[in-house]
Amino acid sequence: MTCTETRDLFSALADDALTPGERAALDAHLAGCAECRRELAAFGRTVALVRAIDPAHAPAGFVDRVLAAARPEPWPRWLARRLSTPWPTLPLGAAALLLVAGLAVLLFRAWPEQQQTARYQSPPPGPAAPAPSRETAPSGASDSPQADTSRDAGATATATREVAPAAPPPAARAPEPPARLGDVAESKNRLEQAAPATKSAETNVEPTAPARDAPPALEGRRANVDSIATDTAKAGRSRQDVAPLSRTGPMTGILAAPPDVTAQLRAADASAAERSLIELAGRLGGGQTGRRIDGGRVVVELAVPREAYAQFVREATALGPLSIEQQATDRPLLSVAVTVSN
Amino acid sequence: MREALGADPPGLLERLRGGDARAFEELVIAYQHRVYGVALRMLGSRAEAEEIAQEVFLRAYRAIGAFRGEARLGTWLYGIASRLCLNRLASPDRRLARGDEALADVAAPTADAASAAERAELDAALRAAIAGLPEERRLVLVLRDVEGLSYEEIAETLAIDPGTVRSRLHRARLQLKEKLERFA
Repeated sequence: MTCTETRDLFSALADDALTPGERAALDAHLAGCAECRRELAAFGRTVALVRAIDPAHAPAGFVDRVLAAARPEPWPRWLARRLSTPWPTLPLGAAALLLVAGLAVLLFRAWPEQQQTARYQSPPPGPAAPAPSRETAPSGASDSPQADTSRDAGATATATREVAPAAPPPAARAPEPPARLGDVAESKNRLEQAAPATKSAETNVEPTAPARDAPPALEGRRANVDSIATDTAKAGRSRQDVAPLSRTGPMTGILAAPPDVTAQLRAADASAAERSLIELAGRLGGGQTGRRIDGGRVVVELAVPREAYAQFVREATALGPLSIEQQATDRPLLSVAVTVSN
Repeated sequence: MREALGADPPGLLERLRGGDARAFEELVIAYQHRVYGVALRMLGSRAEAEEIAQEVFLRAYRAIGAFRGEARLGTWLYGIASRLCLNRLASPDRRLARGDEALADVAAPTADAASAAERAELDAALRAAIAGLPEERRLVLVLRDVEGLSYEEIAETLAIDPGTVRSRLHRARLQLKEKLERFA
């Protein structure tokens, strides 16, 4: 075998793809040819260099972007799905009300003519008031698969205004009862049931803009609808189903920043791995910020100090196979969402 | 190098064909990194790679009914990605990214500073060497040495025979070795 013939086999050798005959001929030649041995060593190092390249990871949010592009479903339905998945414990009716409320606010803010209507609708109290909501809500209500659970337009109106002018919402950041709501004590239980979702929301979300830049015209409407809200509550409508949650609810779903790091951890004992991750984050000076179920799998949301991130990855890798997607960020505290599965 | 492709997730193809909405999401989750990976190494730009990777899944979504299962889902997707990348590279109006970003994220997050610095020069040379390969050789090299496909899987992906895979791969590696002589 010549040197050229020998070197032509180097690639297949690196892939362990030589036939026994080729292998024997190659070995025989190499035994007597120092030049080919040097060539083979250099060839092997080159292959090793290429193989040392880390496989790329699709950017965070890639899956959602593909799904959105593949299924151009009506956006209220998409929104409903996105809003309902992180809160599996939320009663369906309440989720529907949140949705309708959020849509109504968005539409109200988007359409100057609606605000115009509101401006002209100031004091006539009571029965007249639900009308604008009727106009505001339908596009959400009719498109939403869950909207039929909102029982009447009055309820929609209530929900609407609970979200709309909700001035810098105390409940969004701290569990102290908002001053306006006498019924929060009761609904706090519900808040705690929904704790994983609201807790993560607390860490991520600034008081949202709508509250601050609400047009002055809303003020008149607000006073007006307050009385309706009271009426509705008196009428037995369980307003508290909606009120406290709505403060963190729909807006959070839309505006929450994606995590800096999204990771998937596979471990034989998922709940033990979850505990270990939380313990690890705590030990590194961070902690747990939330927890949700996504597609049947647990997603643990953690905060990890930037300087401890490498350590976090090292130790998390020890728990099981870990794949990571990172976003470029310079924040000192990284938000890390780890999906744990077995 | 990425772990071996392996078999399709059990039952996924049947559910995809049956129009199961969750199945497509699972397909994207399962293969997103592979599809994006080959696009990134071929095109050298993250933005372009994401665009192509999205297009791969959209085409798969539309074509799943016609997919007969003669190939595995993984090689089918790699095949769509490969064709789209080669088409993109051949398109005259493509802005020349020249592989600048192709290896920008090769450093593992845990790499310490010293070894990262040592690797910087080598990474740049490796990046340039890979970007300088003829496209069909580069594709085979990426599929084998970065994405971890076997000769047979590459042959299935690109609809060429395994002998062609072997010879393209060999030429690609020889060319790299010459360019990286002083490092290797």
